[in-house]
Amino acid sequence: MSGRRPALVLRVPSRTEFLAAIRDVTRRLAEAAGFDGAQADQLALAVDEASTNVIEHAYRGAPGHTIELRFRDEDGVLRVDVVDDGEAVDPRAVPQVDLQRYASERRTGGLGMHLMGRIMDSVTFRRVAGRNVCCMVKRKPAAGSEAAP
Amino acid sequence: MTELSVDSRELEGIVLLYPRGFINAHTVRLFEGEIQKALDQGRYRIVVSGADLKYIASAGLGAIMGVVEEIRTNGGDIRLAELNETVRNIFDILGFNHLYRIFPSEVEAILSFREGGETGSPPA
Repeated sequence: MSGRRPALVLRVPSRTEFLAAIRDVTRRLAEAAGFDGAQADQLALAVDEASTNVIEHAYRGAPGHTIELRFRDEDGVLRVDVVDDGEAVDPRAVPQVDLQRYASERRTGGLGMHLMGRIMDSVTFRRVAGRNVCCMVKRKPAAGSEAAP
Repeated sequence: MTELSVDSRELEGIVLLYPRGFINAHTVRLFEGEIQKALDQGRYRIVVSGADLKYIASAGLGAIMGVVEEIRTNGGDIRLAELNETVRNIFDILGFNHLYRIFPSEVEAILSFREGGETGSPPA
């Protein structure tokens, strides 16, 4: 099959109890898109982290908002946009992770963003019409090959 | 369905924690609380036995990161065992395998505390 497939859009309240649903949906869609179980788990983690960032930073823990997730299974890639209408987030403000220093300084911030970057092939942020859009892209494994790490 | 439960027991002065389920931003307080209970009792030798841990997000990794210095300063360590492939991959992706000793089995993790030199990162 070729060409762009329909997107699936999921809107969930900005509450951490919905992270489980986000994880489950992401995992199923990733497997349907051709990723193996281990890679589907990692993709689910990346989307969990992006959603957690929205709840904790863009919405500052306020529960009355919405997180919109747009999944698109395109030729060669799975693309996930995580969209919110919270405060503008500057990804450049997120500290670079230095694990040894983090441990000694008891710092934990930035781990989620670091994980997203390590799991996905591309993570970009932009502000569009008053909304934050975090776009994550992962290349699909080539047909008949082992999944890439 | 409960997303996370954490059982604990003590053996030879080592606190064994058994997280069952998922650790993420929603459930991490429970995990942190169990670690803190051990520290409050002056127990600084901890094994997280992860056979039933299905998933850990950065919130859970941060919970470990946030206490490791205190634990090691007090002559102890927090060690991990029996991690499934998904969880082990997450540790590897972040480089946590260079900061923490990870054992295939709970028994090996427990025995490692008998070796002396309890504090510190895994050998290179």
